Amino acid sequence: MSGAGRVRVAFVGKGGAGKSTIAGTFARLLGRAGRPVLAIDSDPLPGLPYSLGVAVDDRPIPDDAVTEGPPGGPRWVLAPHMDPDTLVERHGRVCPDGVRYLQFGNLRGHVAALQKAQHAWSQVVSELDPHRWDVVGDLPGGTRQPFFGWAKYAEVVCVVAEPTAKSMLTARRLLNLSKSRWEPQTAVVASKVRSPGDVERMASRLGAEVVAAVPHSDPVLAADRRGAAPLDADPEGDFAEAVGVLVERVLSLYPAPAKEPA
Amino acid sequence: MKIAVVGKGGAGKTTASAVLARTLARRGEPVVALDCDTNPNLGLSLGVGDTETERLATLREQIDDGDGEHAPTWEDILDRYGADGPDGVRLSVITRIENPEPG
Repeated sequence: MSGAGRVRVAFVGKGGAGKSTIAGTFARLLGRAGRPVLAIDSDPLPGLPYSLGVAVDDRPIPDDAVTEGPPGGPRWVLAPHMDPDTLVERHGRVCPDGVRYLQFGNLRGHVAALQKAQHAWSQVVSELDPHRWDVVGDLPGGTRQPFFGWAKYAEVVCVVAEPTAKSMLTARRLLNLSKSRWEPQTAVVASKVRSPGDVERMASRLGAEVVAAVPHSDPVLAADRRGAAPLDADPEGDFAEAVGVLVERVLSLYPAPAKEPA
Repeated sequence: MKIAVVGKGGAGKTTASAVLARTLARRGEPVVALDCDTNPNLGLSLGVGDTETERLATLREQIDDGDGEHAPTWEDILDRYGADGPDGVRLSVITRIENPEPG
C-alpha cells in the first residue's frame, strides 16, 4: 500500500461477469462517503458510464493534450501546458456522487485516432498525485490487458467471477497472473450469486476467500437492460448492499487514514 | 464454410460457437473449432473438460512467451495445438506471430 491514504483498486474478470456494474457502483458508494473518486476505464468499448449513471460519450482525450515525446520514451507525452490533475479537471466527466470519470475514448471512432488519447490516459494514471484521488479502475474482460501494464496503478485487484465454469477458469488465471506480475492484493468477488452454495463452490474452486458475494438481482438486471445505473434503479437493494460490503472490505485493507469519513 | 462469432463479453459467443460446431459435426460435417480468444475457454463449452482446456491455453502461452515454436502449417497447428472434442470436433487454440499492443 502506498501509505497515501487513498484507495487504488482495479476490477478484472471474464467478460460479462459484472466488472463494470460493480466497479461503477463501488466508485459511487466511495464518492457518497465523501471521498474524492476518479473512475478510470481502459476498455476501448467502455461499459462504466452506465453504472456510473452518465450518458455514453465517445469523445476521446483531445489531441492537443499531448505532444511528441523525446526519443527512447513513449511516442506521445502530455503537452507542456498539461499535467495529470489539469487533464482530469478539464476532461474527467462529472458523475453523480461527485465521481470523476476518465476514459481514453471509444473504439467506435478510428483506432489510430485513439493512440494519443491512450498515451495521455496512461501517463495521467501513472503520474496522478497519489494523495489526491481514490482510483477505481475498470478493465476489459479477459486476461490480456490486466496484466500487460494496464492495471499497475492498482494496489488491490478485485477479481470478479460468476459461479460458472468459464468465469471461474478466467478468475483462476487472473489470480495466478497477479502473483507472477506486480503482486497486488487480490480480492475475489462473487457476482450473480443465487445461493450460498455458489459462494462455497467458488471459494473452493479458486482456493481463495470470497470477500463479497454480490447477488443476482432482478431490479439490477432490469436496469441493465434499459441502461440505468443500479444505484439509481435500486439504491437500497441487495446489490448495492453487497457492493457496500466490498467497499468496507477494501477500505479495511488500508491504514487508518483511508477510513476517514466525510 | 468459415464462420466467426463475435460480440461483447458474456454475450454468449463461446457457448454459441460450441453448439454451432457440434451441431454441424453431428450432421456429418468435418468441423474445426478455433479458439482465438486471448482468454481461451471454448474447450469448456465444447465439453473437452477443464484439464484439456488449460493444457491448450498453456501451450499457447509458451508460444506467446517465446518458449514454444509456431507451427509452420495449418495441419501442424491442428495436430500440435489441438484436442479432439465430442462429436468429432477438432479444437485448436491459436495465436498470431506477434502480439500487438494490449487491448
